[in-house]
Amino acid sequence: MSVPDGLATGARATLRVAVTEADTAQAAGSGDVPVLATPRLLALAEAACVAAIATRMTPSLTSVGIAARLEHRQASPVGAELDIEAELTEIDGVRLVFVFIARPADGADQVIGAGTLERVVVDRERFLARAEGARHRLD
Amino acid sequence: MTEVRAEMVANVWKVVASAGDTVADGDTLVILESMKMEIPVLAEAAGTVSTLAVAEGDVVQEGDLIAVID
Repeated sequence: MSVPDGLATGARATLRVAVTEADTAQAAGSGDVPVLATPRLLALAEAACVAAIATRMTPSLTSVGIAARLEHRQASPVGAELDIEAELTEIDGVRLVFVFIARPADGADQVIGAGTLERVVVDRERFLARAEGARHRLD
Repeated sequence: MTEVRAEMVANVWKVVASAGDTVADGDTLVILESMKMEIPVLAEAAGTVSTLAVAEGDVVQEGDLIAVID
């Protein structure tokens, strides 16, 4: 197993999202206030990481998350627009390290969230076979 | 005699070799899974696998014996 040849540090992507009711802590079950849920911010950050390397991956390979460190510094109400940027900063074998930062989409100089995410490149079919194998052992 | 030991905590995903097999240096003995990755455990010497100490589904700790090659 190795990462695709074209994958290199510096790969980046930015997602622009508007917070909806479905993104709130109330909806996610992670709290009881109608603002962007921390697990939703994590999911968006992971999506930005996936987008950052999407054009460099081959169809048989995918990446899966293995670790995350996340700061959620400011609340975002429903309707707020965010830019979530992720950049691949390190490749260590099949392990990929990304940094992400979430800012208001209006360009205000604020940090809504930031952190470091780790993913590993895996063969899609073999990974799913292993996951199925683990389920059968638990049965 | 060469002892092959686990270098990390992991699940045993596939047992590739069997006791009695003749292996070359670098042959895959078992495949571990840790942090969602497959980690092949290779024979560190040529010889005969005299002991294969793990089964699929086992959890190994760092330093646990996986196989002995004579």
